Formats: sequence, structure tokens, C-alpha cells
Amino acid sequence: MFRNDSALSLRGLTKRYDDGTVALEDFDLEIPAGAFFGLLGPNGAGKTTLISAVCNLVRITDGQISVFGEPHDSMAARRSIGLAEQDINLDRFLTVRETLVYHGGYFGMDDLEPRADEMIEAFGLQSKRDVRAPKLSGGQRRRLLLARALMHRPRLVILDEPTAGVDFELRTELWRYIRQLHSEGTTILLTTHYLEEAEELCDEIALIRGGRLIARDSSEGLREHFGAARLQDVYVKAMAS
Amino acid sequence: MTGLVWLCKRETLRVSKLWTQTVLAPVISSILFILVFGLSLGGRIDQVSSVDYEVFIVPGLITMGMVQAAYANNASSIFQARFDRYIHDVLAAPMSPWQMTFGYTVGGIFRALAIGASLLVLATILVGVPIERPFALAAAVALGLILFSALGVVVGIYAETWDHTTFIANIVILPLAFVGGVFYSIEVLPSPWEELSHFNPVFYLVNAVRFGFLGESDVSVWLSLGVTAALAVPVYAWSQWLFTTGRRLKD
Repeated sequence: MFRNDSALSLRGLTKRYDDGTVALEDFDLEIPAGAFFGLLGPNGAGKTTLISAVCNLVRITDGQISVFGEPHDSMAARRSIGLAEQDINLDRFLTVRETLVYHGGYFGMDDLEPRADEMIEAFGLQSKRDVRAPKLSGGQRRRLLLARALMHRPRLVILDEPTAGVDFELRTELWRYIRQLHSEGTTILLTTHYLEEAEELCDEIALIRGGRLIARDSSEGLREHFGAARLQDVYVKAMAS
Repeated sequence: MTGLVWLCKRETLRVSKLWTQTVLAPVISSILFILVFGLSLGGRIDQVSSVDYEVFIVPGLITMGMVQAAYANNASSIFQARFDRYIHDVLAAPMSPWQMTFGYTVGGIFRALAIGASLLVLATILVGVPIERPFALAAAVALGLILFSALGVVVGIYAETWDHTTFIANIVILPLAFVGGVFYSIEVLPSPWEELSHFNPVFYLVNAVRFGFLGESDVSVWLSLGVTAALAVPVYAWSQWLFTTGRRLKD
């Protein structure tokens, strides 16, 4: 049975793609509600596959996924998750405001318009509210992507490399917003290649490689376990082992 | 149900925002056919099935314009959403597969109806086309649009490139429409072309729509509606199956 105090629970999750590639194999993971959880691993480790499986964007081969105790494909679980993907995937036909309003509509929200305006203000997109996504700058698109993920007030926010290719100023701004979200009780699952980002933000970090969980602990715990002074050294040792 | 309503709104919004491409251009093309083939050549052609030629071709041209639009709209909308990956916003949302299928089908139907209504108004002004059997017309249009909208969804999901979506439009739908009796009654065709026309699914749809407008048809309207329904149901079921299983939509 799944634990009720888990935000996310994966049991024996296996994903084998049609070409035979095994992205995740018998993967177990439990993330408590309210956690700020980091997922680290090299390209191809299975991070994005794991996230896509949770969000019903890939067909899983085997295993079980639950979100706040509900099967991940249930309506309740889907409503609980907010996803900001690594690649910018905004609807090219919609303006900034429409992007948020339509997303809220898909997720069955009632207070669409006030919430959309609130998100536009929170992410500093007021001057671009009636501009279509392709005409936004890279930073503005990244902000809109995060605003869309948070629009329906999800209890579990999944951020797949949210600061990849983002300048220092925007990264700091995003960190501040994500921290605030976490302080309000939202569970955060973050994947990143920036080790200092994981160390700075996450309560707990999981290291994965080749679709398997290598280690999981707090930043201090990992350093102690691997006898390393820095998280970078932990990462190098874990990936080489 | 809220998610379904918003997906339908999104698909119709896209048609409205791009109205010059999605509605105006096909209406102009079809009106040019009526003007060129009907009004300029019609005077030199005898009546077909006891109606003037310029009136005879209107139902087929409206059908052709509508089915091409229904198909092309959904094929391009879904393919673009897959290509840019913003379809993930819908696939991750709390919506049932049937709601996703229906929502994506609606865009093509909306666009086709906008074109059909515009052409009907213009054709009535230009050549005075009647509507003799409105219920038969409504049934034929409904079945035809379900068939070609669902086909657009299926092709949009399977397509790997833009060429795949236009290939079906240009190599399959357009030729079948042209040889499906849009411009002639198959009674005038020599053997074996007359017999071969009976294997063309668009022939039955054109004749069902023509029966609705003119009360005249090359084959029984029940046969026409039956054949169109027999194709519409499995194609729609196919699109539903793709959303239910996630095949081609989810890795």
C-alpha cells in the first residue's frame, strides 16, 4: 500500500522504450509531502523519463506510481501535479494570459482570470500579457512556463531543469519564487545539472544513474557517506562507482 | 467536463485567430469553382439530373471544401501540438481520453461548418441553391465531418513530418473528391468508371449531401449515409484508441 503522507511514491517502476532502451528499472522512490527533493544524474540517467511517467506523458512498462495516495493516472492525482518541463513547450497560438487561462481551464479551475492575473504579476509579465509565446524572450518564456505549472495551485510541483540556460539574475529570481512556494507547503521535485543549485535548495537529494537509484540523503549525509568534502566530489564518486 | 469545454474553446480559437487561412481562403477557392465551372461553363452544359449545372455542382463543392478543411485543421493542429510538445499540457491534465478525442475533433468540425455556412450563403446569392431535404443534409454533414475530422486527428498523431499530413490531403482526399461526382453525375461515366466510382467513399458522401440539397442522388440516400457512417465509426474509434492507449502520443 502507498503511504498517505507521501507526495510521490514509485514502486518497481520500469520503463522500457520501444527500441529496447531501459530508462528505469525496478525503481523505488518515496518523497514525503512538503519535501524539497532534488534528483541528480547525468544525461540519460532516467530523470526526465521518471518525471514524464509521473505526469502521464510516457507509458510505463511496469510498476506503480501514486501521488498523495492516489494512482498517478487518476483525475485527483493529475490535478495535484504542476509540471515545468526542461524544453519550452508553450502553445504558439496563445498569448501569455491565454496560456494561463486555458491551462487553468484544462485543469478545471473556477477562478481562472484573477489567478491568471495574479501569476502574470508574480512573474513580472504584465507588459507581455497579450503577447503570443513565440514573441517572448527566452527568460520570459521560462517564467511563463513556471507560471503555467503553478497556475492551478498544484500540491506537487515538478521542475525539470528549470534554470538550464537561464542567466544569473533570472535564476536567482526563480530560486526565490520556488523557495517561497516550498515555505507555503508545496512539495517540490527538482532535477538539475547544477549541483550548487541542488545543495542550496533541496532538503534531500537522490543520485540516479542508468535508471537506478544510487544514493539518497541530505547533502551533508551524502558527503559523509561518500567521504567527500563537496557535493561535486560526491557526484563524481557516485557516478564512477 | 470543464477541461473538455476549454479544449474545445482552444481548438475553435485557433480557427478564429487564423480565419484568413482557415476559412476565407477555402471559401474563395470554392466560390471560384462555382464561378468558373458553374457560371461560365454552365450555360454550355445541359441540365444534370434535372437541375442546372451551376446548381448541381454546389453540394459537391461545399462537401469538398468542408471535408478538406475538417481533415487539414485537425491534422495540422495535432501535429503542431506534438511537434512543439505543448500537447503535454492536455495529456497531463485531468481529462478523460474521450474528452481529449472529442475536444480535438471539434476544431475541424467548427472550421468546416464555418466554411460550409459561408459557401451556402454565397451560393444561394449566386445560383440560388435549394435545401430540399434538411434532415438528410444535416445527417450527411454530421457523418462526413466526424469521418474527416477524426481522420485528421489520426493522421496528426501518426505523422512524422508536415509532408505526411499534406500527402493524405493531396494524394488521397482531393483526388477522391474530384472523382467522387462533385462535377458530374456518374450516370454519364462509361464502364468501368461508373462501377469503380462505387468504391470511392467520398462519392457516397457527395451524393448524400446532394440529396439533402437537391432531393436528387445517383444512389439511395440510405446507402450513402450507411457507407459514410460505416467509415466514420471505426475512424473515430481509432482516434479514441490512440488517446486511450497513448500510442504515438506518449513514448
